[in-house]
Amino acid sequence: MSVQTEGTDTAGQPAVRKARVPAPRGEDRTPAPSARRGGAAPYLLLLPALLATLVLLGWPLVKNGMLSFQNLNPRQLIQHLTEWNGVDNYQEVLTGSDFWHVVERSVVFTAANVVLIMVLGTLVGLLLARLGRKMRLTLLLGLVLAWAMPVIAATTVYQWLFAQRFGVVNWVLDKAGWHSMADYNWFGSQFSTFSVITLLIVWQSIPFVAINLYAATTTIPRELYEAASLDGAGAWKSFTSVTFPFLRPFLYATTFLEVIWVFKAFPQIFALNEGGPDHLTETLPIYAFVEGVGNQHFGVGAAISFLTILVLLVITSYYLRMVLKQEEDEL
Amino acid sequence: MKRSVFGRIWPNATALVLFVGFAFPVYWMFATAFKPTGDIISENPVWVPTDVTFGHFTKAVHADHFWTLVANSVTVTVSAVLMSLVIALFAAFALARLRFRGRRGFIVTFMLAQMAPWEVMVIAIYMLVRDNDMLDSLVPLTVFYAVMVLPLTILTLRGYVAAVPKELEESAMVDGCTRTQAFVRVIFPLLAPGLMATSLFGFITAWNEFPLVLILNKDIEKQTLPLWLSQFQTAFGDDWGATMAASSLFALPILILFIFLQRKAVSGLTDGAVKG
Amino acid sequence: MKRKLAAAIVIAGMMVSVSACGGNDDDNTGKNAGPDSWKGQTLTVWTMDGSAPEQWTKDVQAAFEKKTGAKLKFETQKWDGIQQKITTALSESNPPDVLEVGNTQTPAYAATGGLAELGDLKQQIGSDWTPSVSHSSVYDGKQYAAPWYFANRVVIYNKKIWAKAGIKDTPKTRDEFFKDLDAIGKKTGAEPLYLPGQNWYFFDGLTIGQGADLVKKQGDTYVSNLGDPKVSAAMEIYKKYASYSKAPKDKDEATPQQAQVFAKGKTGAFIGMGWEAGTAVQANKSIEKDLGYFTIPGATAGKPEGVFLGGSNLAVAQGSKKQALAKEFLKIALSDQYEGELAKLNGVIPNKQSLETNLKGNAVAEAAAPGAAAGGTTPLIPEWAAVENTPNPIKSYMTAVLNGKSPAAAAKQVEGEINKRLAQQN
Repeated sequence: MSVQTEGTDTAGQPAVRKARVPAPRGEDRTPAPSARRGGAAPYLLLLPALLATLVLLGWPLVKNGMLSFQNLNPRQLIQHLTEWNGVDNYQEVLTGSDFWHVVERSVVFTAANVVLIMVLGTLVGLLLARLGRKMRLTLLLGLVLAWAMPVIAATTVYQWLFAQRFGVVNWVLDKAGWHSMADYNWFGSQFSTFSVITLLIVWQSIPFVAINLYAATTTIPRELYEAASLDGAGAWKSFTSVTFPFLRPFLYATTFLEVIWVFKAFPQIFALNEGGPDHLTETLPIYAFVEGVGNQHFGVGAAISFLTILVLLVITSYYLRMVLKQEEDEL
Repeated sequence: MKRSVFGRIWPNATALVLFVGFAFPVYWMFATAFKPTGDIISENPVWVPTDVTFGHFTKAVHADHFWTLVANSVTVTVSAVLMSLVIALFAAFALARLRFRGRRGFIVTFMLAQMAPWEVMVIAIYMLVRDNDMLDSLVPLTVFYAVMVLPLTILTLRGYVAAVPKELEESAMVDGCTRTQAFVRVIFPLLAPGLMATSLFGFITAWNEFPLVLILNKDIEKQTLPLWLSQFQTAFGDDWGATMAASSLFALPILILFIFLQRKAVSGLTDGAVKG
Repeated sequence: MKRKLAAAIVIAGMMVSVSACGGNDDDNTGKNAGPDSWKGQTLTVWTMDGSAPEQWTKDVQAAFEKKTGAKLKFETQKWDGIQQKITTALSESNPPDVLEVGNTQTPAYAATGGLAELGDLKQQIGSDWTPSVSHSSVYDGKQYAAPWYFANRVVIYNKKIWAKAGIKDTPKTRDEFFKDLDAIGKKTGAEPLYLPGQNWYFFDGLTIGQGADLVKKQGDTYVSNLGDPKVSAAMEIYKKYASYSKAPKDKDEATPQQAQVFAKGKTGAFIGMGWEAGTAVQANKSIEKDLGYFTIPGATAGKPEGVFLGGSNLAVAQGSKKQALAKEFLKIALSDQYEGELAKLNGVIPNKQSLETNLKGNAVAEAAAPGAAAGGTTPLIPEWAAVENTPNPIKSYMTAVLNGKSPAAAAKQVEGEINKRLAQQN
């Protein structure tokens, strides 16, 4: 893997290098030279998945694309009218000031959340590896509880935790000496609403990163650390020279997934405050939904959702290119 | 390695704080659900429900068609997960074990599919389903949920398939098994933990899905629990006891499933990896 | 499925406007259907949460099923997200046959072509519909719905708390009302008034009281009129009311249901529809004996506050295949007997003046009647409905003012959004 640049002087390096990117954990597999099997088998095996994706995802995507070039409001929807209006919808969206603000907000929001999730998730994962058995199981239980909370239930619970009256968070802050928080309305301003949303998303996402990262660390061969410590490496050095390089592919893959998940986050934002106050917490998916479905301006909504996909593609293009290159190397 | 007392204490202390932080919202949900209203709206929080009541749960379950919704949710979720697991297993096997032209193209295709913003395509999906006369049915929900979770299921399963030592499969084939037999007898049992771990993601996604069922199924007999929970919350937004009881009921199956499957999945993960 | 996709692509190529699926041009199928063919059919009627009392639906159902031999199914709809639900439902091949549509939204739905024309029904049973009440269901000179009932908000108060505060009589002017609320705040532990920041129908009433309108015509288009000083004055009154409440500033009266809050017995009063008293009683039986009602007082005695004349029409879906049966239902539901019963049970204003005798002795209706005379609605133009879509910019305006922004600045902030929605094509 060519992206690996750190010079490490430990044994077992080849094994480290071969850890592959897209698998959710560091796996150690040598591409078997004997695996050359021609024929239709692989394509037949892939057929159901491709067909399902094509029909159930591709078709709506095409339909959505077509809608984005139509003037589609309640009248057209009800009477089944098709009124093409060229690029009017795109023009309306792209020339308005809202769209670019929303793009900027979505990118900043995604970046902030993903950084928090990855950094804290990694730290928790490494902590798991250091803990004794009992404490590890305890922490794992906490993580699994947070992970398993269905999003809609979780947003409801967060609304209760942060409720203006009788919310436990305000009570704690008040007792801790911050008395102006006693009756604070968390959903009254953009920043505080985003804070709650971020806390919710980070709380729910850390377990995935931490648990999987912990699982991945258990696969790092002991000999690597032994060799490192023979070379006089301290804790930090053995982290940078052994742990990190080994986990890097995993971290890339996880970051990719988290970027997608955070960027697409919908119920968390919508259920907490419907993109409010004053549209100020609308990210792209929320914006598309509010303008399209909420405002019954379906053609414009379709155009925004198409642009949403484009933005997401741009954000993730770096990683996708990397995967393409990498898989190519392997063939 | 020798560690000071401090060095031994801080990881445990941090872990304890983290445990509380992660578990508290879940605990608070259950605790509130069991508390009488007087204890819920009290100036000082009642940390442990001493005076347990089931009144909120009664209220939550009392909603029209509650059990129909439960049945629908279970049906849709389980079928969607099974469907995506079966389809994904074929694909994952091909992607992990076989070499063929266009392989990376397929992988990237599934990665792209993983990005699909389903929530914002609801109108397009609605129109397709409507024009094919499939509204108010559990079938479109099931297949759409299956495809929603399919890409990640494939990409994750691929890792698990690849982690099963190739030598096992080869030795089975040396023993006279066909490739299919080798797969069924050797690989599949080893994959079980991976399948469980992967299914968790599917369960939670399908169980939660909300925008699609809202627009596709107006008939209450064909709706699912997320709609019940959200409507319940709008109507009784101020009644936190009932709302938390409803949330608890909604979350409980998934929580149980996770705690049960996650332990197997993690241990399976590590075991498999050590062998690999 | 493939063929449909191919067809769609061909259509895309031709860039013409055609009806993709047809499907709803069979509204005449019900014409020659007679009572014999009605047996075994089921008519679906959507009513909104709170509109149709249980007793009324039971009676109407019995009468309908007896007369036609068909089945009748009432389905209660929640207000949350109702516009999208109605829009999509009207586009389906199996829409609800009859549906309740809010008076301010009727012109918009009439303009979409989703509602059947009811001119003949109007001729048969509507000659004595109160003209002002029937007005909202006429679009482009044609009758697209039948007026069902009207209602306006009153003050619903807790007699026990008011007595505790030493108040002898209900207030006749706004200032007296404020004084009473002050007294409740000082002398009892109760919250004087429950008024969330986004009860925009109440706000609309205040603007009507000030003689202002929410939109104005500018050339050919309608634009926001929130910047009008009269609207600001109305908002200042709202703010004064809201200062007596601890209710959230960014929620409306339905989240949570204000009647449920009131039912806990720790609130002096709230401003709501008569039927909300029923919701309160349902939540807490013991509140019933303490319930009282009075007209929302205006600036001077004898001139009550302006109110929003909320109302509902019953419409028939254009796509319904049971048009004749649907009209049969309307004839029964809107007959003097059942229209009168609805007025009596819910304390709402019926669609004919002759039926208003049913309101005698009804405390809610008697409190509502003086206000209704000074009532008004939101602009009855098809463009208006879009403004009410979530997130409603008028609600944002109200929250902004309650959070300390000046009404003029808050109006400026939402003007763009309102104008955009008013300009939205149908």
